[in-house]
Amino acid sequence: MAKTYDYLFKLLLIGDSGVGKTSILFRFSEDAFNISFISTIGIDFKIRTIDLDGKKVKLQIWDTAGQERFRTITTAYYRGSMGIMLVYDVTNEKSFENIKNWIRNIEENASADVEKMILGNKCDLDAKRQVSKERGEQLAVEYQIKFVETSAKDSLNVEFAFYTLARDIKAKMEKKQEASNPPGGRTGAHQLRANEQQRKPTSWLSRCSVL
Amino acid sequence: MDEDLPTDFNVIVVGTGVVESIVAAACSRIGKDVLHIDCSDHYGGLWASYNFDGLQKFIKEVKTEPNKHSQVYNLEEKWYINKDPPQEEPKEDSEDGKAEPTKKVWCQADFTSEYRKFNIDMTSKLLFSRGPLVELLISSNIARYAEFRCVTRVLTWLNDKLMPVPCSRADVFATEAVSIVEKRMLMKMLTSIVGYNDEEMNNEFKDWNDKTFKEYLTHKGLTPNLIHYVLFAIAGGTESMPCLEGVRECKKFLMSLGRYGNTPFLWPMYGSGEIPQCFCRLCAVFGGWYCLNRPIDSVETKTVDEGKTVVVVGSKSKTLKCDHLVIGINECPKDFISSEPAETCDISKAIFITNGTIMASEKEPLTLFRFPPLNDEQNCVTVLEVGPATGSCPKGLFVVYLVTNKVKDAESDLKPYAEKIFDMSGGDQTATSDKPKCLWSLFYNVKDTSAAVHSGTDCVHVCAGPDAGLDYDRAVHQAEEIYKKICPGQEFLPRAPNPEEIVFEDGATPGPEFQREDEDAEGDKE
Repeated sequence: MAKTYDYLFKLLLIGDSGVGKTSILFRFSEDAFNISFISTIGIDFKIRTIDLDGKKVKLQIWDTAGQERFRTITTAYYRGSMGIMLVYDVTNEKSFENIKNWIRNIEENASADVEKMILGNKCDLDAKRQVSKERGEQLAVEYQIKFVETSAKDSLNVEFAFYTLARDIKAKMEKKQEASNPPGGRTGAHQLRANEQQRKPTSWLSRCSVL
Repeated sequence: MDEDLPTDFNVIVVGTGVVESIVAAACSRIGKDVLHIDCSDHYGGLWASYNFDGLQKFIKEVKTEPNKHSQVYNLEEKWYINKDPPQEEPKEDSEDGKAEPTKKVWCQADFTSEYRKFNIDMTSKLLFSRGPLVELLISSNIARYAEFRCVTRVLTWLNDKLMPVPCSRADVFATEAVSIVEKRMLMKMLTSIVGYNDEEMNNEFKDWNDKTFKEYLTHKGLTPNLIHYVLFAIAGGTESMPCLEGVRECKKFLMSLGRYGNTPFLWPMYGSGEIPQCFCRLCAVFGGWYCLNRPIDSVETKTVDEGKTVVVVGSKSKTLKCDHLVIGINECPKDFISSEPAETCDISKAIFITNGTIMASEKEPLTLFRFPPLNDEQNCVTVLEVGPATGSCPKGLFVVYLVTNKVKDAESDLKPYAEKIFDMSGGDQTATSDKPKCLWSLFYNVKDTSAAVHSGTDCVHVCAGPDAGLDYDRAVHQAEEIYKKICPGQEFLPRAPNPEEIVFEDGATPGPEFQREDEDAEGDKE
């Protein structure tokens, strides 16, 4: 089967419960916002293919499935991730303070060269704001990570954030490929697929080695 | 934070080992409210994989708090290399800049600084390509949470040296070890083995019930070399292996050939500890609650109205209630285990980190090597060697796992085998030798808690610990049995939908069209 994309990026959303990770995901993948999507039940990841400088980039964006609630995100969640959106809620001081803890968590579990971006979500709720934009920027400078305030509800900067993160990953990847030709990355590891079952039923004899 | 946790659940699962995690996922999948907790700060219990730092913590804990890991004993860690890098010697620059890349000399500090690149299994197992775990991962769609590598070769020990066992057609044509006549004999015998069926004993095997597999192979006229391959490498047996057990093991091996790679086996990327986590993820996706660092203090059953029984679990001054409690044997209060599990043979294990593979190979190998017993009292030793491509260790190193049934203690049981395949002298790492240098080793015994245990009550289900077997078959089987008791008549882990199959109506405004992909297009071996 021909690939319908040039790149596949696995992205993660990380941050405290209730900061709007799922809303950001829905805004970006479905261009929808609905307050009833508060819980994450059944949402594993969403896919959207974007066009970047003439290349089709398929973004597979994973949600935490509620495992952020008591800090029980599996190490498996981080495997193979290339970009991480760190999300806090500008109306929730604690969620902002926890960004540092999430960064520590990422450093422990994700690949060392994973691209990161900090999002201060719910910036439409100015009246309830507890974290100023300046503090967000300051934190980003401290960790040398890009930062933007978003509103999944008003569809503000969500698109921009994902494009930015994807572009950074793509740039890093292309640089790496130039440095090491043929392109690096793991080869030979694969996922198990149902369709592999439907290969023509071979008789055990043709399978059997020893013969 | 604690107050956010509800107190009433359909099912509470204690422990995040493989069996517990599969049951948790299965219950959550069909809509049960599930709380899944573990007393430690990581997933997997005895099935976990650790990075080097995590492993050091584990070792320290076993030594200082033996009660916390009562299943692990005789733990011996040993280094064969220096603590710090050698003093920078003023190297005379070789004439043409970079001639001879000298072999890296590893020191303990390298392991510490690269600790994250290690994923070391406490319980290392393989998946048969057509075994129950692979089928379950595919049918449930949990396979999307994991990646696998094919085992590239099967080795055996013949005439005091390592020998590859021909496993693919190409291998067979390449090998001169098996003659045409032998191939015919072998083919005839393997055909009968594949035709074997437990229920309807065909004539071929009906008289072999009380004989050994070796007697059968000899009877079929196989030459000593072929008997060796089939008995030790394919069936993983010993001289005394009963015939029908050997037949079953061989059949399992043969049926899993030709699906993914040259051998019938798969290895999970980043180690076996990923397997329980995949099931936990599914449980969470379907609404399961997760808490780590959450020991339980008490378990009791109470009969409430209409004779209904609830299980009450005390944990951190919180009282949790559920209809069914699923609990790992190591966390289960003893009074819920109706009878002590049958006396079983404990497991001897060893882990080695080496500076090269046990047998040179063109590409990075992933090896299953079944070491036949060196003497009559001992058992077959299973050896698994994994390299950097599996995410198990930094480049330049290999991790090797040895497992056998305990006779004396882990070190006495396994060291003689290790010495056959590694250089354990701790000498100069750059010296050329036919065996890789062992840089670090860990020996330990684990109690075998894999026997099925009944709790004596219908609403408490006890999960077994890891067994010494090569695969996950027993764990999957046990999880399914427990699930059937909790959710009788319900499908076991029906396929979870792909994200694009979930349609949200709920008043959401449709977004702009974007290209919908055929999910399957991406994954075929890239």
